Amino acid sequence: MHYETNKKIHMLLQLNNIFKWVQSGGQRVFLLKDINLSVEEGEFISIMGPSGSGKSTLLNVIGMLDGFNEGEYNFMDEPVHTLKEKHRANLYKQYIGFVFQAYHLIDELTVKENLEMPLLYNKTSSSERKALVADSLDRFNIVGKKDLFPSQLSGGQQQLVGIARALITSPKLILADEPTGNLNSKQGEEIMELFKQLNNDGVTIIQVTHSEKNAAYGSRIINLLDGRRI
Amino acid sequence: MFKNYLKIAWRNLRKNKGYSIINIGGLALGMAVALIIGFWMYDELTRDSYFKNKDKIAQVYQSQAFNGRIDTGPAIPLPLEPALRDGYADNFKHIMMASWTQDSYIKYKENSISRPGNYMQPVAPELLNLEILKGEKDGLREINSIMISKSTADALFGKEDPIGKILKISNQYDLNVTAVYQDIPFNNTFNSTDYIIPWDNYVANREWIKNSLDHWDNNSFQMFVQLAENADMESVSETIRNVKKDLNEDTAEFNPQLFLLPMEDWYLRNNFEDGKQVGGRIKYVWLFGIIGAFVLLLACINFMNLSTARSEKRAKEVGVRKSIGSQKGQLIYQFLSESFLVVLFAFVVAIAIVLLSLDGFNELASKEITFPWGIGMFWLISVGFIIFTALLAGSYPALYLSSFKPVDVLKGTFKTGKYASLPRKILVVIQFTVSVAFIIGTVIVMQQINYAKNRPIGYDRNGLIQIPTWSADFQGKTDIMREQFIKSGAVTAMATSSSPTTRVWSNRSGFTWEGKPDGFQEDFAWTEVSPEYASTLNLKVVQGRDFSRDMASDSLGILINRTAVKYMGLENPVGTVIRDSDKENLTPSMKILGVVEDIISQSPYEPVKQAWYVYDRNNNFSYYNLRLNPGQSAKQNLAIVERVFKENFPAIPFEYDFVDDEYAAKFAAEQRIGTLSGIFTALAILISCLGLFGLTSFVAEQRTKEIGVRKVLGATIFNVWNMLSKDFLKLITISCFIAIPIAYYVMNGWLQEYPYRVILKWWIFALAVFGAMGVTVLTVSFQAIKAAKANPVKSLRTE
Repeated sequence: MHYETNKKIHMLLQLNNIFKWVQSGGQRVFLLKDINLSVEEGEFISIMGPSGSGKSTLLNVIGMLDGFNEGEYNFMDEPVHTLKEKHRANLYKQYIGFVFQAYHLIDELTVKENLEMPLLYNKTSSSERKALVADSLDRFNIVGKKDLFPSQLSGGQQQLVGIARALITSPKLILADEPTGNLNSKQGEEIMELFKQLNNDGVTIIQVTHSEKNAAYGSRIINLLDGRRI
Repeated sequence: MFKNYLKIAWRNLRKNKGYSIINIGGLALGMAVALIIGFWMYDELTRDSYFKNKDKIAQVYQSQAFNGRIDTGPAIPLPLEPALRDGYADNFKHIMMASWTQDSYIKYKENSISRPGNYMQPVAPELLNLEILKGEKDGLREINSIMISKSTADALFGKEDPIGKILKISNQYDLNVTAVYQDIPFNNTFNSTDYIIPWDNYVANREWIKNSLDHWDNNSFQMFVQLAENADMESVSETIRNVKKDLNEDTAEFNPQLFLLPMEDWYLRNNFEDGKQVGGRIKYVWLFGIIGAFVLLLACINFMNLSTARSEKRAKEVGVRKSIGSQKGQLIYQFLSESFLVVLFAFVVAIAIVLLSLDGFNELASKEITFPWGIGMFWLISVGFIIFTALLAGSYPALYLSSFKPVDVLKGTFKTGKYASLPRKILVVIQFTVSVAFIIGTVIVMQQINYAKNRPIGYDRNGLIQIPTWSADFQGKTDIMREQFIKSGAVTAMATSSSPTTRVWSNRSGFTWEGKPDGFQEDFAWTEVSPEYASTLNLKVVQGRDFSRDMASDSLGILINRTAVKYMGLENPVGTVIRDSDKENLTPSMKILGVVEDIISQSPYEPVKQAWYVYDRNNNFSYYNLRLNPGQSAKQNLAIVERVFKENFPAIPFEYDFVDDEYAAKFAAEQRIGTLSGIFTALAILISCLGLFGLTSFVAEQRTKEIGVRKVLGATIFNVWNMLSKDFLKLITISCFIAIPIAYYVMNGWLQEYPYRVILKWWIFALAVFGAMGVTVLTVSFQAIKAAKANPVKSLRTE
């Protein structure tokens, strides 16, 4: 991951007047209300807010896993709201990595195979896959665990693998939904340190969190309440 | 990528062993059934493929009307041959007269065996494309020649060269072996033809045949034809339709219609009703085809159901893969490759099952099916079959699983919706509909067989044996033999007859009697018997009296059966005089002495035919009927009978049949269908239950938390069991409502073919319903009780 040191500002993504709602008993219940957000490359943003305020929904919209009803979304100058499903998948496959609260490793695959999976979907060649996986195992210091299955790892270790997997395709953006939510405080701290370090290397990070302490790692905090920025 | 899919699939299979066994085992069973039925169908449909000119060969059939009833059969009169050869030669490449296949004693030096064979015209080796191993192909030119099959040659000559050797047939005439041909394989007509003797020999040695050369009314022969190269089966058949009617006025009143039955129909479509072809075995070929397809469908349904039921476990994987960048198409592909793997596995297991059960099946179905290892076509079809099954079984789970939205699944709030289980329920209903219908069908087939078996047959068939007497040696020795047999203590009574008790070999017409209605076209089953016939069979004389040796005039007497009394319209049958209607003054008239009970000598499903038992004054007998001494074991009796037989006929092999075995053989076809459908039904139920078992265990697992909460709130084990079982019982009830009318309709149609048939009773359906319910409750209970007994603390803690 090599980024130019003379911090030339690049816009990564931009949300303009995003609305998202569901129909309930003939009434619209707003999940996101008029969200405007610009994210530049290299930022570390924390999204905060009480339960049900739309944090995760916003993250999913940014990650293109979920759609929205109104507004515009540009990701690296591509208008996401007009893109076809397949094109959109290509976009996030290439530029976005996800880290989940519950790690979401595939139980039937070993650590090594879990890391390899995004590369398979990326159609990376076999030799390059091997090299990238080896690098990644090395970098996160989990070489010794490469043949274990997720159930044989502690929560912290699983999340480490989860992050390694998110990073293996060298994405520009990491989306993390309460990445420390299932971890004890020591493990949580380690993961946050790792994020900090990744951010210093130039990776843009957006995380959802409940914890002020974790939010403090970021460069900017976005507060949500009832689907609206405050 | 594909490797990755297979890896996941393989690990999934290993992780969930119980699920895998149910899935693969059930599918393998279904496939094994489909394979075996496929082999069987192929065997049936390719019968007679030994004959190179199969599509050009046909047999001449004839339909005639008697009193408005049309009888159709392959028997034709002799004058037809010159008629066709003279007037219609262009249509045929070959015309061949043939006798019926009959057993004969063949003797070489001291070695005597009994084999079936035919008399045929010299074109036979070419028409039947016999493979000549030794001797000349044109071996039937000389009237005293004989061609024999390899198995017969081996049995008679061993290592000696048979060509040019002299054989004695029926201890009567000498024949010169001109050729040895390869036995015609099992699955072909003429497979039992072990010798062929020139047709001219048949005619030359039999007065009655010589007399029939210009008789259009003696339909006692067979004619086979091979069409000319450019001739068309249907149009030739149409051309010869009225040949007999046009050439012979005397028989025109019966409206004889001739037609060709193509070789491909000989075995599969040889049933006629009112002169029209109405199928035959082909019906069973399709019936079993449908059964096979259904059993396979049941197994596929298991696969679909279990896969989708497990969907919640796979949902997370789908979500992760999608969020990492997998597209729906790739996931469909992944799940299809999993299904492919399972099906491939199942196929291997299925082949093992087929190999293990093929011998047993062959015995049940009386087939000689071998596993087609070396046949490329089979493997090609198998690959297609595997892909088809993989798609059939895997498509629904693939589409269903791959359509999960990652956001829903990964949030952890994912629950399969209320309607997600609806397709699953429909599939279970289909499964049990098929199973219940199978149960009903099988029970009815069995009932029909038993019904016919228990029908009173009119005589005592136990301890009765028949010995064939198809050799000149037996002439004039009947009385001596009777005396010796009875003296030996092994036999209490003996009578001769011109046909076996369980068959009618001869039908006659051309009689008149007082009170016979004008224009009445009579037709009687005709058996010539010795005077002891009724007493040997324990056949009851219900009116008049039995034959008596003391009355010389009895040699012109006949006994008739009850049906004949009604048929002839006689009020006082005893004493009625019967004359030959053609040559009134040439043959002596006969007198009815008595009326006997109806005996079933033809189909046990048909009404008994009007029959005459005529005093045999011309030594026209084919069988000894012996009543064994009931005071001794059958084994002892047979040993003594054989000894007496051998003392008198050392050159003739001792052969016998138990009449009750012969009678039982009449049920063979139905019995076979009954047994096979019973087995397939059992398998269908087993497969359905396997699926149900798997499904219940998943439902129980899904509802673990609910069950825990209910138990904490005071539910008993019975409450929980009831809750889990009720859902499935509802589905089975629906199945029954669908299955019963379908089964009723189909089976009622099947029964219509049998004039003597069982009446469908409601309890058969009730039985099937309770059977299905019982099996369901048992299957479901196993899992339900396990779930109900689990400690709620455990299940609730995992939340």
